[in-house]
Amino acid sequence: MQVYTTDTPTSTSGRIKVGIAEFAVDTDGNTLTTSGLGSCIGVALYDPVTNVSGLAHAMLPEANEGGKPAKFADTGIESLLAEMQASGADPDRVVAKLAGGSNMFDFTSTNGGMSIGERNVDSARKTLDRLEIDVVAADVGGDHGRSLELDSRSGDLRVRSANAGDQTL
Amino acid sequence: MNLDVRSLRTFSRLAHSGAEKAAGSLTTLVGIDTYVNVTKVELGTKADVESEFSERDLVSVNIGFNGGLDGRTVLAFSPESAERLVESLMPGIDATDADGELAASSLKEVANIMLGGFIDGWADYLDTSIDITTPTYVAEGGDGPLEDVDPDGFEHEDETERILVFRNQLEAADDAIGFDLYMIPSPESIQTIVEASGDDGALPVESFAAFSEMISDGAAQASDDISAMTGIETDVEVSRLSFVPIEGVPMSLTDAVRRGVVLEFMGTPSGYIAILFDEPSAENIASSLLPGMEDDEAMRQSAIQEIGNIVTSGFLDGWANALETTIEISPPKHVHDIGSAIVDPLATDLAQSQEYAFLIDSTIRTDDDEFTCDIYALPDEAELRKALEQLAPAA
Repeated sequence: MQVYTTDTPTSTSGRIKVGIAEFAVDTDGNTLTTSGLGSCIGVALYDPVTNVSGLAHAMLPEANEGGKPAKFADTGIESLLAEMQASGADPDRVVAKLAGGSNMFDFTSTNGGMSIGERNVDSARKTLDRLEIDVVAADVGGDHGRSLELDSRSGDLRVRSANAGDQTL
Repeated sequence: MNLDVRSLRTFSRLAHSGAEKAAGSLTTLVGIDTYVNVTKVELGTKADVESEFSERDLVSVNIGFNGGLDGRTVLAFSPESAERLVESLMPGIDATDADGELAASSLKEVANIMLGGFIDGWADYLDTSIDITTPTYVAEGGDGPLEDVDPDGFEHEDETERILVFRNQLEAADDAIGFDLYMIPSPESIQTIVEASGDDGALPVESFAAFSEMISDGAAQASDDISAMTGIETDVEVSRLSFVPIEGVPMSLTDAVRRGVVLEFMGTPSGYIAILFDEPSAENIASSLLPGMEDDEAMRQSAIQEIGNIVTSGFLDGWANALETTIEISPPKHVHDIGSAIVDPLATDLAQSQEYAFLIDSTIRTDDDEFTCDIYALPDEAELRKALEQLAPAA
């Protein structure tokens, strides 16, 4: 039984939700949201001329075989930028804002080395540096969780937390 | 019947793509953005599924399917979500009218389209044809959706029988409408799906069932321990073992602020446990343990940590016994943060070596809703499989 054809959803609510290991691009002045960033890293990209915006929620620093690109900071950012470019963004104008990458627990697996949160931030910065995209603001690290809202009309990134206050980057 | 991780992955992917089709149908039908939040393959009892419906006062529409596969699909809503959905389908209609017939028929229409799309994907994968029955609406407080409204292809008579449930959490219109899409195949149909995906190195489904029982026992022990400590009678509301893409683990929680503890456990298996309370529950528990001192933040934290210790050992001791192993527990770390962000680092740590996770979640609750305690356990997948081999009957 196939009654209706299915298309990629276009937003009717003005908000587009980005899940974990996903990214989304908006060209219509919507708000891109993602929640529950602990050690995960949120990367907001914005072209101030065309207002093409993108938000990625990556779990791990570097891609491994077989995983979907959006799960990793390096391939997630590359894919997000490519998709934004296809939607009319100019990479020379795109700027980045970062949030997340906290270190909430001291797990034995960390073994005194860098936490996953720190490695996620590091990988995101290196990837953006390689792509020649400036990081104009960041709220990373610490030991608390964050939820994000990217206003694609202004490029403002609102960062909410439970106890560490809210701020706009 | 044997189940292996590869068939669980196939199940999970099939269910997820089916749910995305279903979500897309709803988006097209009513113009409401609909997302698949999490897809889980759950192993529980029929009674677990039924009790969730009655606890949450869910309304549902169920559709049976038969042919290449037999079983039932159910679309379940909270009454508020059902109302909002009906309002967006038919603006101006009062969804709360006395007989609610219009509301019921529009929900049936939604279910027909969504569940039909969901089942199509399975038929394609199995290269078979599957027929669906006409939808049955079950109002809030009605007979459970697993009751045999339409006997075709549904054979789960025994309340304590372990059943496989494919559960997809969907969200529409910016969290305003939330619903669950369930698919419950008959035991024969599970066998059909398992065979289609190949079962090399599979574990007998009995091992999973035995583990699932162990989890229920652990939750019951934890509940008894909480009751003994606080003097408040508690019960286990749900206790489930599910198989879920690793990124779906944090997405199973909302961004509501929770208070609780996180612990690491070491042994075979190793993994993480989070024991979380909503804020009113945390306050109630602190005041029942430390009457008159609940305003002292340090005291409150130590009360929550103590409960965390008790619950964890109640929960894990049974596993250690059944698996004939030792499981060590780290000191509990107090947390007070966005729920999904608390669980995110635990899932992320495991995500370095596994794409899917066995998620154990149990809810312990008092009769009067004085408090609710959610336990999430995330064992290392490979280590858990090794542990389950111990449970497998000797070949």
